[in-house]
Amino acid sequence: MADEQAPVTTLASGEAAAEGPAVAEPEARRGRRVPEVAALVLFLVAEIVFFSIKSPYFLERDNWFNILTAIAVVGVIAAPATLLLVAGQFDLSVGSGTAFCGVIMAYVAGDQAGSLDKANWLGVVLVLLAGLAIGTINGFFVTVVGVNALITTLGMLAVLRGLSQVIASGQTLFLGAFSGLGQGRVAAAPFDIPISAIILVVVLAIFWFVMRYTVYGRSMYAIGSNPVAARLSGVRSRRLIYIGFLLSGLCTAIGGLMLVSEVGAAASGTAALGYELQVVTAVILGGASLAGGRGTILGTVLGLLIIGVLNNGLNLLSVDAFWQQVAQGTLLIAAVSFDQLRIRFTGE
Amino acid sequence: MSSGFRLEARGIRKSFGGVEVLHGVDLTAAGGSVLALLGENGAGKSTLVKIIAGDYHADAGEIQIGDEVHASLDPVTARGLGIRMIFQEMADAPALSIAENIALGRWPRRRGLVRWRELRRHAEQVLDELGVDLDPERPVSSLRIGERQVVEIARAISGDVRCLILDEPTAALSAQEVERLFTFVHRLRERGVVLVYITHRLDEVRQIADYVQVLRDGNVVLYGKVSDLDRRALVSAMVGRAIDDVQRPPPRTWELGETPVLRFAGASSGTAFRDVDLDVFPGEVVALYGKVGSGTAEVAEAAFGTRRLTAGTFELDGRSRSFRGPVQAIDAGVGLLPADRQREGAFMVRPVAENISAPSWPRLAKLKQFITSRAEALAYRRWHDALSIRSREDPKQPMATLSGGNQQKVMLGRWLERRSHALLLVEPTRGVDVGARQEIYRSIRRLGSEGVGILIPTSDYEEVVQVADRALVMARGQIVARLAEDSISTEQLIEAAGG
Repeated sequence: MADEQAPVTTLASGEAAAEGPAVAEPEARRGRRVPEVAALVLFLVAEIVFFSIKSPYFLERDNWFNILTAIAVVGVIAAPATLLLVAGQFDLSVGSGTAFCGVIMAYVAGDQAGSLDKANWLGVVLVLLAGLAIGTINGFFVTVVGVNALITTLGMLAVLRGLSQVIASGQTLFLGAFSGLGQGRVAAAPFDIPISAIILVVVLAIFWFVMRYTVYGRSMYAIGSNPVAARLSGVRSRRLIYIGFLLSGLCTAIGGLMLVSEVGAAASGTAALGYELQVVTAVILGGASLAGGRGTILGTVLGLLIIGVLNNGLNLLSVDAFWQQVAQGTLLIAAVSFDQLRIRFTGE
Repeated sequence: MSSGFRLEARGIRKSFGGVEVLHGVDLTAAGGSVLALLGENGAGKSTLVKIIAGDYHADAGEIQIGDEVHASLDPVTARGLGIRMIFQEMADAPALSIAENIALGRWPRRRGLVRWRELRRHAEQVLDELGVDLDPERPVSSLRIGERQVVEIARAISGDVRCLILDEPTAALSAQEVERLFTFVHRLRERGVVLVYITHRLDEVRQIADYVQVLRDGNVVLYGKVSDLDRRALVSAMVGRAIDDVQRPPPRTWELGETPVLRFAGASSGTAFRDVDLDVFPGEVVALYGKVGSGTAEVAEAAFGTRRLTAGTFELDGRSRSFRGPVQAIDAGVGLLPADRQREGAFMVRPVAENISAPSWPRLAKLKQFITSRAEALAYRRWHDALSIRSREDPKQPMATLSGGNQQKVMLGRWLERRSHALLLVEPTRGVDVGARQEIYRSIRRLGSEGVGILIPTSDYEEVVQVADRALVMARGQIVARLAEDSISTEQLIEAAGG
């Protein structure tokens, strides 16, 4: 029939141009993709306007550096968290992992005799290895044994906090000569950008690139949006998720180094306490779906800024730190509700 | 025999999304008899009984149960009136015991606590009535599928049941389990229960039903006593004019290759299929026809590395292969279009371009890793026109916003972009509208002309007639018939698959 009349085409090589009018989708379906980020930007702008009216100091350059420094550690961890959540995975061990890495650094480089520099380098290497070890363990249980990621990393959260306290005997370990990462500036004014902010930007940029332009990043989206289909499309899901946990561990190590450098000490019991909550809040707020398959680094950046500005603003207004926690928890629930409502109304 | 109790539905109409699927349908069933509701997929059988069971609300019409007339029912009212339904899919709670499942939602309680002894006694009594020997304490998850269905039935008939609707209950059952099911049905008939039995298996109608009603495209096209109707009358009522409309593809004008792309020899896989001999030559479109559960899809899985052979061999391009998983199969040039597009095929929230290019990423990417949206957009372009995918001209359009037929074209494009030369297309037009179906068939034929070997496991006999060069018929895990080019017809296929 029509088969015969069709021009001789080579369908298998994709060079055909068969007839077929492209019917446009109904109007109602268009423009649906705009609002996700727009709502976040709007919320952020509203925050900024509110706080700049309330506090004259808020808009100053130094305050913005404060905000960036404050979100730097959480931001560095939130980058791989976005990647993992996009693939439908979580890593809740990042908070106590950060503390664990900080404690190791302080333990190795804190009171060592000999060249301080040498001890610092040894510490950095050990911390990075520790981060990879954390990722290896998480990845092993999630992808090889098949334990749910939430459970695995929740367990690791407890294990790492406990180990930190064991190493430090429950104390705070001090670290004097390792302040560059957390407190340093790249140059003198007016280019006195905090190094931690630079690290944050670099890490986020790398993950942005990975998630947008690499086969690895795209495969993670595929896994999260439909694990079965991903497998049947030849995606090596388990391997890729394993790598995701390794990256998360690595970034946890970097975050741990930044934190211990900034504070100049590692409090084994309270350092980075609740960071996992902040990370999840930022990522979810940024539009990543708990069901997987959606989420971007850009969104996470906005989520981080929303949290950072909120905390900073509340500080400037001298609101009790305890209330900041309340605000953050509320934000998380609000963000997930927003995600749910979006799904319900757009049906996607 | 008749208890005098009657179930009647009159002038039932129902639309989904502006499309009317029931055009004023009547249904009459009397207590103490079995009414078989027959029809093809999409004829409206399930919709009709769901309205009777209160799952859906009718747009128009009324339902009379005994002396009560209702414009529409909700599930609780329907249950109160003694209407029960057994669904195709199990709706049980596998982690709970048999006894708990039988009384699910109605556990005997005292002051908020479950009365376990009474629960158990109740279960024993119901199971006794059915003549089955099962320990009520066993968790349902430990049961075989047929036994689970018994539990479903036990739940349905516990309490005061006056009307039992069974929706294609035998799809997943062994011959023995089917026998047992029929015994239950007959016992319930003797008790004066109204029985409505949905099926598309003609042999079952003869075995079990007293009356038969055939639905086609939302209309009643035949009603009568089973003993007055022969098989032919039922078939032609079911498929209607379509039986003549379904045309064979034009004869093949190209030569087939010499080495089979796909070949199974004496292949078995557990209980899914056994002794399958099958080959597909380059350029050939072979259909593997069989009802759901007959093992056709499992044969495709075996060729794709997601199912192990327990005996026999599988060859690809003349080489014996045993894939450990899809990755290897895909690399060797095999592509699988899964039957369930939603669950196993598409990335619904992701862009169309990504859906097409996912398995081809390593090739499309620079250095196997760096992929640009431009490379994906090009892949999208290639197949958008070649397969006449109807969409916005936007590679980033989410997959979920395409119609079923266009999604299926995208899925086909996925393997063409991957340059697979052995395609396993499982139920390639399930949930696809008629127009798009023809386009997909044309694309499949054209792929054949370009030397691709195509195997189509399907339960749609019209599909077989319209697209295949050759057809193998499977039933209960075995190939039972081989139809050559000139002997493929709707009747032949239905006959060979055992009605």
